[in-house]
Amino acid sequence: MGLLNPQNFIYGLSLALLVLIYLRSRSRPTIEVSSLMLFDEAPAPVASVRHVRIDPLFWLETATLTALTLAIAGLYVMRPRTPGHGRIHALVFDLGAGMSAREGSGARLDQARREAMEIINQAPAGDEFSVIAYALEAQARHPQTANLADLRKALGDLIPMAVPARTAALRAALIRARGASEIDLFADRPPAAAILADAASTARVNFHLVGSGDSNLAIVSLDPGIPRSTRGRAVIRNFSARPHSCELAIDLGNSEEFHQTLMLAPREQVVVPFGPIRTGGVLHARILTPDAIDADNDRYAYAPSDRPAQVLVLSPDAAVRDDIARVVLAVNANFQIETADPARYLADANASRPSAKPLELAVMHDCYVPAAGAASTLLIYPPQLAKNLPYAAAIGISVNGTLASADISSYAMGEAPGIESLTLGATRIVAIPEWMDLIATATGPAHSSIPLAAIGRAAGGPVGVLAFDVRDHLLLAPDHLDALVLTVDLIKQLTAARDILIVATGADVSVPATGTARVTQPDESVRTVTADKWGRVRIRPLQAGRYIVESGGETTQVFANYYDAAESDLGAKPQAEAKAPAEKAAAASNAQSAREVQPLVFILIALALLALTIESAMLIGHAGRWGMRHV
Amino acid sequence: MLEARAFEPEFLRKLDRLVLGIKRARTVRAGQRALGRIQGLGIEPENFKAYAPGDDLRFLDWNAFARFDELMLRTYRADRQVEVTALVDASASMGLPEHDDKLGLALAIGASLAYIGMADNDAVRIGAFSMHRGAMKLDATPFHRRRESYVNFRPFVMSVKAGGETRLGAAVDQLLLQRRPAGMVVVISDFLVNESDAADALKRLVAARHDVKVVHVMGEQESTASYPSGLFRVRDSETGEVRETVLGPATAAAIRRNVEKIAMRMREICTTHAITYAQAFGAGNLESIMERELPRLGIVR
Repeated sequence: MGLLNPQNFIYGLSLALLVLIYLRSRSRPTIEVSSLMLFDEAPAPVASVRHVRIDPLFWLETATLTALTLAIAGLYVMRPRTPGHGRIHALVFDLGAGMSAREGSGARLDQARREAMEIINQAPAGDEFSVIAYALEAQARHPQTANLADLRKALGDLIPMAVPARTAALRAALIRARGASEIDLFADRPPAAAILADAASTARVNFHLVGSGDSNLAIVSLDPGIPRSTRGRAVIRNFSARPHSCELAIDLGNSEEFHQTLMLAPREQVVVPFGPIRTGGVLHARILTPDAIDADNDRYAYAPSDRPAQVLVLSPDAAVRDDIARVVLAVNANFQIETADPARYLADANASRPSAKPLELAVMHDCYVPAAGAASTLLIYPPQLAKNLPYAAAIGISVNGTLASADISSYAMGEAPGIESLTLGATRIVAIPEWMDLIATATGPAHSSIPLAAIGRAAGGPVGVLAFDVRDHLLLAPDHLDALVLTVDLIKQLTAARDILIVATGADVSVPATGTARVTQPDESVRTVTADKWGRVRIRPLQAGRYIVESGGETTQVFANYYDAAESDLGAKPQAEAKAPAEKAAAASNAQSAREVQPLVFILIALALLALTIESAMLIGHAGRWGMRHV
Repeated sequence: MLEARAFEPEFLRKLDRLVLGIKRARTVRAGQRALGRIQGLGIEPENFKAYAPGDDLRFLDWNAFARFDELMLRTYRADRQVEVTALVDASASMGLPEHDDKLGLALAIGASLAYIGMADNDAVRIGAFSMHRGAMKLDATPFHRRRESYVNFRPFVMSVKAGGETRLGAAVDQLLLQRRPAGMVVVISDFLVNESDAADALKRLVAARHDVKVVHVMGEQESTASYPSGLFRVRDSETGEVRETVLGPATAAAIRRNVEKIAMRMREICTTHAITYAQAFGAGNLESIMERELPRLGIVR
C-alpha cells in the first residue's frame, strides 16, 4: 500500500481532521438553560474520565474515512494462489562449465534437461514455458510458448560452456524470468538465498540441484619456460576429496615433451616441471585421466621463439634507453637490442640500416621516427606532432597536451587481478583511434577518460601506446611496479606471434581479417564472421580448445584455455549442506510466492458505504426524535 | 413571536367579554384587604350621617330635617379608577428555552390583561423588569385607559428582550418608589429566583394595598424536560454557572419534580398572602389560559 505516497498521505489527513473534530467535541456540548435550579436533582456524570467517548456517529465516520483512505492507498492481502490453467513457467539453466561434469551416463546438464522435461510433461495443458540460460550473461533461449516440440528442441540445444557461471548472470536470468508465475532453476550449486528471495517476490521459485560428484582434475596454469634455457611448469590441481591419479601429457607441436602419471592427494595442487623445451611454439598440456570436466583438462601456452630478433629503442634520454632495454631483454632474452638517440639515429639511418635485419619491435620514447620500419611499434610518452605529419595520418594518434601526473587505479589484462592506485609522472593527453583497445586509463576527476595504455593493430603492424613518461628510472623504481607491469604486458602483446593467440575462454578476441572470416570452432563446426570497418573480426571463445580464423589467405589460431577455481571445484561444499539453505530459501520463497496479492478496494468501499448507510439511518432517527436542530 | 398574538383582532375579540376581577370596597377601612373608595362628589348616594360642624352644608338632606327634625347629611360614593400594572419578568431565564417563547407568553398575557382592564376604563400599564449591569431596570408604559389607545402598548411589548438577572424584590422596590395609589399588580414571571426574594417582594406589594395577582409562566420543554440525552454541560442563563450532567430519563424526571416543587412553593406563598396564583405552562396554551384558567381563578371575569 502506498500511504507513504504524498497524495495518499493527504487522503489520510482527513482522518486526522476527523479526530481533531472529535477531540474538539470531546469538551462536551453545552446547553444553556433558564436556571440550574431545575437541575438540582439531576444525576452527576460518572466520576471516571472516559478518554474515548462512545459516539457511534464518530466511529462510523472514522470507519468510513479509514476504509476509503486504505482503498485509495491500495491495501491488499496475500492469499493462497488459486490453482488454474494458463500459468507461465520459466526454466532457468546454469550453462557454466560445472554443468558439463559427467556423472553416470551423462552430464549434469542432461540431468537438468530430464527434470525440466518432467515438469513440462506434468504441467496442465495451456501452461506456457520459456527457456533462459546463463553463464557469463543471461540469455533467453526460447520465448514463452506452449509448443512442446519447440521446448524440447530448445532444451536439446542447450550446451554447457567452458566458462564460470557468474552470480550477476544468474540475477539477470531471474530478472528476465520475472514475468513468470513459477521459476524452475537448474544449477549444480546452490545460489545465495538472497537471490532466490529477490526472485520470489514475484514468482514461485523451485531450485533443482543437479549433480553430486566431486571428482575433477584441472590444469591450473602452464608456463612454457624459455626454449633451451629454462624449464617450464605445469600446475595440476585435484579438486576431489580423495586421492586421484593424473596422467599428464605435454606436447609441443606434434612431438611429445612430457608424459607422466602422477598421484595427487585429496585437494592437492602440484607443480610439474618439464623441459626446457627444445624450441618455441604452441605447448599443449593434457590430462588424459578421465574426470568430470573436460574443459579444464587442456591448456595451451605459447613459447616464444628462441631465434634472435632485433629491437630498436629510441629515446633522447640515455637513462630511459637503458631502462627500456633492460625491460625488453627481461621479456625475451633472445632479443638483440639497439639503442639510439633519435636525433643521431635519423642522421645515420640510411648509412647503417640497409644491411641490417628487420626490426621486430621499435620502442620510441618521446620521439617518433617513421623510418624505423619495425614490425610493431611501442610509443612511450609520444611527442606532440602536427596532424599533417605522416605519423598522425597513418596511425591516427594525436597528442593534445601534457598532464602533470596521472593515476592508474586498476587495469585488467585477461584474468589478471586489478592493482592498487599508483600515481605516475608527467602524462600525455593522447587521443587514440577507435581500432585501439584501452588497457589502462587515467582515473580521477580531472582526467578520467585519458588512456594510459592502449594497443591496436594498424596496417603496418601492432601499435602500442604508453602515455606516461618513464624518465628518472620510473620503470625500474620499486614504487612504480604497476607501470613496469603495464609496460611488460604491452611489450609481450606487441612481440607475440601474429597468427597465434592464447586467450581465456569468455574473453573477446580481435583478429585481423579482410571481408569475411571463416571460423572453425573446437567442435569442428564452422561459421562465417564479417569483419568490421577496421578490418577485424571479433570472436568470443566459449569452448576450450583451438579456434581457427581464416580470412584472405591468412590463418590465425586462437587457443582458448579454461580454468576457474570455483567452477571446477565440484566438491566445494558437501552437497547436503549446500542444498539445505537453498531448499530453505526456496521453501521460504515458495511460501511467499505461493500467495498472491488480493486488492481490498471493493471490500473497503463496501464497508465505507455500509458505515455511511448506518450513519444516515442513525441521523434520520435522531432527527425524528429531537428535530433537525439536534442533528 | 407570541406577543404579537395579543394584538390580533381575532384574539382580542375573545377578550372583549372579559373584565378584570378587581375587589372594590365602598369604604376604606383599616386592615381591610380591598381597594378603598373615597367619599366625595358623586351621583350615587351611599349613606346618611348626622351633621357635624364643619360638614359641607350642600349635602344636608332638607327633606329628612323636615320629617325628623334632625340635621342629616347625605353622602355619595365618588367612583375612582383603578391602576392596573402588568409587571412582566424580562430576565434572561424568560428567553430560554428559545423554543418555549416564555417571554412571548408572558408579554401576551400581560397585554391581554391590559386590554381586559381597559374595558372598565381603568388606567392600565405594562412594565418589564430585569437587572442590567447590576442595576434594576424597570421599563413601563404610560397608563392608558381607553381601548382605543391599546395599540399604544404594541411598540413596548414588541421591543422587550430577555436579558439580565431576575430580582423581583428590586423590581417591586422600584415600583413602590413611584408612590402610585394602590391598584392591581399582576406579576408574570417564571419565578426561577430565590424563593425568599419572591415571597418578600410579593408581601411588600400586598402591604402597599395592591391587589396582587401572580401568573407563573413556564415553557413546555422546560417543564417536561425534553432534552436530548447524553453527557452535557448546562449553563445557567443568568448566573453563567456551568454544571456537567447526564441528560436522560432520570434527569428529565428530576427536572419535572423540580418544576412541580417550585410551582407548589409559589402557590403556598401566594396562598399565605391571599394572592391569586395562576399557572401558564406552555406557550401553546395562551388562549385556554386567557379564556378558561384566568376566569376560573377570578383574575378575570
